[in-house]
Amino acid sequence: MQVRRSPDRRTSPASHMKKLPRVLLVFSSLLLIAMFFLPLWHIRLEAPQYPEGISFYIMLRSIVGGGEFDLANVNMLNHYIGMKPIVAASIPELKWMPWIVGVLIITGLLAAWSGKYKALVAWVGVFTVTAIAGLADFYRWGYDYGHNLAPDAIIKIPGMTYQPPLIGTKQLLNFTAHSWPATGGIAAGIALAVGVLAVILATRGRRSLGAMALFGLLASGCAQTSAMPELAFDGREACAYCAMSITDPRTGGVVVTSKGKKYAFDSVDCLASFAATIDLASARVWVLDFEHPGKLLPVADALFVPAPAGLSIGMGGGRIAISSKNAGARPDAQRWDQLLAAAVAARSAVTGS
Amino acid sequence: MIRFRTKLTLTLAAIGVAALSTTSCKMNKADSLTVGDAASKVYVAPGKYDEYYAFLSGGFSGQMAVYGLPSGRLLKVMSVFSQNPETGYGYNEETKAMLQTTHGLVPWDDTHHPELSQTDGVPDGRWLFINGNNTPRIARIDLANFETTEILEIPNAAGGHASPFITPNSKYVVSATRFSVPVPNTDVPINSYKANFRGTLSFIRADQPGKMDIAFQILMPGYNYDLGHAGKGPSDGWFFFTTYNTEQAYTKLELNASQNDKDYIAAVNYNAAEKCVADGKAKSAPAKYMHNTMNEASRVASSETKQSVQMLDPRDCPGIVYLLPTPKSPHGVDVDPTGEYIVGGGKLATVIPVHSYTKLARAIADKQFDGEMQGIPILKYNATLAGEVKNPGLGPLHTEFDGKGFAYTSMFISSEVVKWKLGTWEIVDRIPTYYSIGHLMIPGGDSRKPWGKYLLAMNKITKDRYLPTGPELSQSAQLIDISGPKMKLLLDFPTIGEPHYAQAIPAELIKANSKKLYSLSGNTHPEVSKSEAATGIRRAGKAVHIKMVAIRSHFSPDNIEGVQAGDTVYFHVTNIEQDWDIMHGFALFGAPTSELILGPGETRTMKWVASAPGVYPFYCTDFCSALHQEMQGYLRVSAPGSNVPLSANTSPRAATQAARVSKAPVLANHGGMRGPAAQAPGGR
Repeated sequence: MQVRRSPDRRTSPASHMKKLPRVLLVFSSLLLIAMFFLPLWHIRLEAPQYPEGISFYIMLRSIVGGGEFDLANVNMLNHYIGMKPIVAASIPELKWMPWIVGVLIITGLLAAWSGKYKALVAWVGVFTVTAIAGLADFYRWGYDYGHNLAPDAIIKIPGMTYQPPLIGTKQLLNFTAHSWPATGGIAAGIALAVGVLAVILATRGRRSLGAMALFGLLASGCAQTSAMPELAFDGREACAYCAMSITDPRTGGVVVTSKGKKYAFDSVDCLASFAATIDLASARVWVLDFEHPGKLLPVADALFVPAPAGLSIGMGGGRIAISSKNAGARPDAQRWDQLLAAAVAARSAVTGS
Repeated sequence: MIRFRTKLTLTLAAIGVAALSTTSCKMNKADSLTVGDAASKVYVAPGKYDEYYAFLSGGFSGQMAVYGLPSGRLLKVMSVFSQNPETGYGYNEETKAMLQTTHGLVPWDDTHHPELSQTDGVPDGRWLFINGNNTPRIARIDLANFETTEILEIPNAAGGHASPFITPNSKYVVSATRFSVPVPNTDVPINSYKANFRGTLSFIRADQPGKMDIAFQILMPGYNYDLGHAGKGPSDGWFFFTTYNTEQAYTKLELNASQNDKDYIAAVNYNAAEKCVADGKAKSAPAKYMHNTMNEASRVASSETKQSVQMLDPRDCPGIVYLLPTPKSPHGVDVDPTGEYIVGGGKLATVIPVHSYTKLARAIADKQFDGEMQGIPILKYNATLAGEVKNPGLGPLHTEFDGKGFAYTSMFISSEVVKWKLGTWEIVDRIPTYYSIGHLMIPGGDSRKPWGKYLLAMNKITKDRYLPTGPELSQSAQLIDISGPKMKLLLDFPTIGEPHYAQAIPAELIKANSKKLYSLSGNTHPEVSKSEAATGIRRAGKAVHIKMVAIRSHFSPDNIEGVQAGDTVYFHVTNIEQDWDIMHGFALFGAPTSELILGPGETRTMKWVASAPGVYPFYCTDFCSALHQEMQGYLRVSAPGSNVPLSANTSPRAATQAARVSKAPVLANHGGMRGPAAQAPGGR
């Protein structure tokens, strides 16, 4: 089918979206229809006596058992710990959530129809807030079920509560509880991601700081872990290990912890010495490629060789990083794990630990 | 002279037994696999499933056992013709009707031959049939829940031994009388046997669950009818029955029925018989017999008495039966997978005779008759004989087939299995059994498509095979690997009762259909309580009905008062669980009956006459949960005329809890009994 392109769209003012973001917005809105039919969340319980598991699904309008009698059996088992029965009729959200999603779908389509950039941003913003609120509400119910127990419960274990995980797996007495998004929830997540993508595409090349700020915030979770850190070599940054200024774009490196905290170093030796003192499990480590000043290499792609004679690096020790692709078969090259192991050994020798 | 020869045969047989038992120990060591080899072939690791379900008749236990093969693990004992206090079968009010006969409630029978339903000549795993030998009956077991769902009594018969063999599409199962009796059964001198005693062959419609019925009976000469099998392929539409005692002896049959050199295999053209019945050639004969069925929704059995059968006399309908002379007191009659060969197991014969269906059809067309018996043509032995297996051993009984052109015959007297080739009739292998094998079974080995990997020998005597347990020892089954050219003994396991015969089928054909629970919402028992709110108590004269539920981990109600000595109390207990393998039990102190065992969603009733004032505890007998031991209650019995009001209570706290849980939609009452019965709980 040929899409009719009206002349005023082609010459649309800056407040209007281009075609792709609009299509994405329509897609995002329509994808939300899946929430009416597909389960949003799946909670599954396993125990020695239930190797086949018993489970239930949270739907937009109801809660249904994985098997015909699973929900009744969950409630039946929960009576031992004094948990309230999980009954859809007692959860008002299941009555008005469909309306909210319905309004989101309609307003999304309207925003796409209007073609207004601000409508897109506003819609995705509202969607984001709704999603967060929905998860928070889900958590609140889980908390209530898990903590608000009958005072005369048959099984009472001091300090024990039975809140299922919002997402993930948790041991509750003899049951292992798994809680994960189901197809409808995943569809909603994709719809949100597509909405965000539409905003990013619509924003590109536009100086809409407000929008950038909003989505910078949204994207920051990803950016923190995936984007490459930046280093300045004008002496403003100091080595996190030896405190000397960082000026040489050929030596040193950077560690970004899982929490997003950045540590810069003036030499790979300082970096290794520092790394030997912390848990690197979920941190990301880059080193500067000696052969390409200013270029950061993921540490796994780097090899470490003695610095060329005459080069003064940091506190000495004298190794530089080069890309493993360019290292050839240098017998004096070390991998990161070797360098780190040496640093750990050196530290143990000093501290005696 | 004839008598002398018989004696000689039996004497030789006895010598054979003695000779074999001395050599068998050596053979055992030489022939069997190394222990580790055999063990690995029958080892089914914990948590893993067996390859086959095997159904072994329980013989004089009246029940049927389910084993896994190749492990030989006992999976279940299914109650069929005998009361079973372990499950309450035949004791509780719901199942007593299953054991009703025209002779009243018969609490026991002798099960012989399990038979799986077939589609197109191949076992299909829907149902299992089995005969009651003593008071002739046929039971249908539903393989979705492994329970007896239907029992049909067979009139004009005594000793339903040749039963319940099936036709290739399960249209009919048959039952032939072992004893000939007066038809109808009346007071006549026993020595008027020849004049008054008759045999009957019953064809029972079997393809509609809950609707087994005798389509017609064929009135036969007064012989003993022993076993049967349906034709298939070219012989489809024919049924073959063995006879013995063609001497028509009525005393000391051991001797008097062993005189004739040949007895008969009766070949019945049941398609032709069907047509004669349709043409009105059968007489409607008065015959009282009962048909008991278990209602699937209420799980309450009921009985219906039927009044007549269609009786077909072969003289009125020529061409429906022919007699094939077969040596000598033949026991088994087994049809090979192609349907061409009909193997007779002449238990006192020195050969295994094999008839050919092609030759049988030609002999009938050419009228190669050698006399007749009560209007039934007797064919010439050589006109139907395909061949004889020479010197097979002593006492051939039963033959099954592996689908690869070989037949396996059990030899009772020489206690062995003999493998021979169809067509050449040569013996290719033999293996001893311990001891005195009766039937043998290959999964599907009597069908059009055997699964020819294992053979199960079922032995009558175990003697020194297991740790001794006093004078009475178990029977046994022995698993033999028949996948290679040589038979190899793999496993030897004791069985319940006497496993006459067995059937086996690949597990996949049954496993997926196995039920996990009975639907509570679909429970139509008149006294069901679908929730705690629907329980209660009511008095109707001297009868007190208590509607009770069992759910982890309590009964509701659990305090019952106002019952008076002399009252008949009915405990209608419903297990309102809807969870797999969550069973409850109910047992009452001093009750002269069995416990109740309740499947999830099932209602069962205990009838009890309160005889003396006092307090009677009751409790759950099937370990259901961590608080099973708390699952109990009390019934108070007062003196007649006492003013203690009738009440059935649970504690207020339990009522609150029950109300909380019953808010859950699935446990809610689905329109069950309301009204007076529902008012009692919590009303203190």
